[in-house]
Amino acid sequence: MKKKLVAMLLAGGQGSRLYALTQSVAKPSVPFGGKYRIIDFPLSNCANSGIDTVGVLTQYRPLQLNSYIGSGQPWDLDVNDGGVFILPPYQSAGEKGSWFTGTANAIYQNLSFIEEYDPENVLILSGDQIYKMDYADMLREHLEHDAACTISVLSVTLEEATRFGIMNIGPDGYVEEFEEKPKHPKSTLASMGIYIFNWKKLREYLIADENDPNSNKDFGKNIIPSMLGNGEKLWPYRFKGYWADVGTISSLWESNMDMLTPQLIDLYDPEWPISARSPICPPHQVGAHAEILHSIVTEGCEIDGIVDNSVLSPSVRIGVGANIKYSVLMPGVVVEAGASVEYAIIGENAVIHAGAKVGGSPAPGEEKSITTIGPDLEIPAGSTVKVGAMISSVEEV
Amino acid sequence: MKDFHGLIFAYYTDARLRELVSMRTAASLPFCGRYRVIDFSLSAMRNAGIVDVGVIMQRDYQSLLDHLGGGKAWDMARRTGGLRMLPPFGLPEYHRGNYAGTMEALIAVSSYIKDVNAKYFVLMLGDMCANIDLTEPMEQHRKSGSPITAICTDRADAEGFRMTYLTDENGKACQILVDAVNEKEGVLSLEAYIINKETLLELMETSRKQSLHRFHKDTLDTWLKEGGKMDIYVHHGYTALIRSVDSYYKANMDMLNSDIRHELFPADRPVFTKAREEVSTYYGVGSYSRNSLVADNCIIDGSIENCIVFSGARIASGAKLKNCIVMNDCIVEAGCSLDHCIIDKDCSFSAGTVLNGNERLPLIVPKGSNI
Repeated sequence: MKKKLVAMLLAGGQGSRLYALTQSVAKPSVPFGGKYRIIDFPLSNCANSGIDTVGVLTQYRPLQLNSYIGSGQPWDLDVNDGGVFILPPYQSAGEKGSWFTGTANAIYQNLSFIEEYDPENVLILSGDQIYKMDYADMLREHLEHDAACTISVLSVTLEEATRFGIMNIGPDGYVEEFEEKPKHPKSTLASMGIYIFNWKKLREYLIADENDPNSNKDFGKNIIPSMLGNGEKLWPYRFKGYWADVGTISSLWESNMDMLTPQLIDLYDPEWPISARSPICPPHQVGAHAEILHSIVTEGCEIDGIVDNSVLSPSVRIGVGANIKYSVLMPGVVVEAGASVEYAIIGENAVIHAGAKVGGSPAPGEEKSITTIGPDLEIPAGSTVKVGAMISSVEEV
Repeated sequence: MKDFHGLIFAYYTDARLRELVSMRTAASLPFCGRYRVIDFSLSAMRNAGIVDVGVIMQRDYQSLLDHLGGGKAWDMARRTGGLRMLPPFGLPEYHRGNYAGTMEALIAVSSYIKDVNAKYFVLMLGDMCANIDLTEPMEQHRKSGSPITAICTDRADAEGFRMTYLTDENGKACQILVDAVNEKEGVLSLEAYIINKETLLELMETSRKQSLHRFHKDTLDTWLKEGGKMDIYVHHGYTALIRSVDSYYKANMDMLNSDIRHELFPADRPVFTKAREEVSTYYGVGSYSRNSLVADNCIIDGSIENCIVFSGARIASGAKLKNCIVMNDCIVEAGCSLDHCIIDKDCSFSAGTVLNGNERLPLIVPKGSNI
């Protein structure tokens, strides 16, 4: 079955900078924004853009991700001639199987999957970004400009530009030069790591890159520069809207807090729903002693304490007199009576026992520092977890 | 062959539910912020491994069909068996009027019942809120050798049920009493039964011949009088029959009590319902909320107290809701004040609207009202 566009979602990243949260799950399946997991954003964008064939490349701790994606039904991706496919590294006859060694290598190892759909173009996505984008619009520009590759770019500040791959644009509007983390940026158009490639072209470059022993097998470092070097047409697709890479604890916290400002990103737009697979729980309960201020709360929660500027995933329980401020509480977290959690991220099913104190608010003028508690950990009653700590194992408690 | 087959009665809608059932059956009444009443019986069956289930319906079943879909939410979308909708079929006489009783409803779908390849039928009401662990009475039924097992309650707060069983020294049912309000003895029937297939077919045949339609007053009364054996299983959990505006309002408000809610929604026997894939609820900067249940996908900028709020609600800053049930997708604009109201789906209230019901007489705002 020939497809116009097949999406390949890179979801193999370990997310080592989030280590307390990603010891047993891949980064894309980290809970986000109350109801979601990070991967819900690219998957929902695909479904909303009319893309019905998505390959999800997994490598690190894929178990939870596999069961989360399942048949793809929550995103309406359970269709007859396409759907969502989990693509782990595998071994072929007569060859030694190997792990994905880079983003480009991951796609290279799945050439046969893409060939099955013989698409005209291939969309490459990351599994660790929060944004709403119409890939169909990006494809339209890609075709309009007859590009070999179209790269989504975002306008950033000059200061931020030093942390991104930066696209310098020529007078004809095409990409002229690509600089990875330039010290002195010439432009402020940052690559978002979202690409549409002409499939025939990409196939050639992937095979050539695979045979180059000096290559890192990476899209940003190798494929894009060699396309530029060969004079291929690279078009920048200028994205406007909310976009966040959630690769670090502070960016993950920050982006969760952004969900409290609907002007930044509207999750309630029925035209562009972000879908999730979630267990069916009763509505959340606001108890007789509860106080909820400017927060996101999800079904199954039972709240009898104070929740202030926080994001609560399903089935979180907050006891009487507990105080939650500027924090992200993942599914099943329990905060017992009198405990306090401030400027923190608490992993799934962790328990903060009565009176414990996790993290704290920054003093005026002080840089904030996020405290992280890994999944399933128990913080003993009355104990204190110091500001900025990352607790990932029982021994550290 | 699977031993047990489920049948749920969703044909009966009590007129005392008034405007709430003008466009739906009692079984499809929205409940506790996200459910429909029939979810309890469907989930009880599903949690006991019964996924071959027929739902007997007769009128106004559009919203019920919409809710049930293919039965996927209850794992009942199966290649063989699974969920079957049983509107009146084949026999034109059953399109007229209402079924006169459970027996008539069963006889109307007798061809379906005959074709079912199971030893036992589990019969349950579609308009009852109870989370029954059916595995226990199923096991009891297998062992007891009685052709009928009646599932009953010993709860003093179980309202709306009318049939009481008196039991003999062996704990078997020996007599059925109707509306025995002051009876201290006996247990109240939840009108849920496990019954052998051949017994059910025999009872249906007798009823058909004699034109007797009432399951309790005719069929089961005769069964006991003629010495038929009936086991009793007692369910101890919270139970409510939804047959009037009062009982509907009370059962919803009961869910604000955590102990009762946990009885109805225990972690090991989840209640399944049609999923609405959506987003968490957002509380704005100036919002106020106390003692309420709030579903996902609401935006709350105003104040709510003692309320049950279904998904899609938009409550503007300065709006005040107290003691209300707010069904899906309602919009309440600034400065509204609503107290003791049951607000059906898709209603909107323009700024400054004031509506007050009373605890004894909650005000029903019909579906789709623009006020």
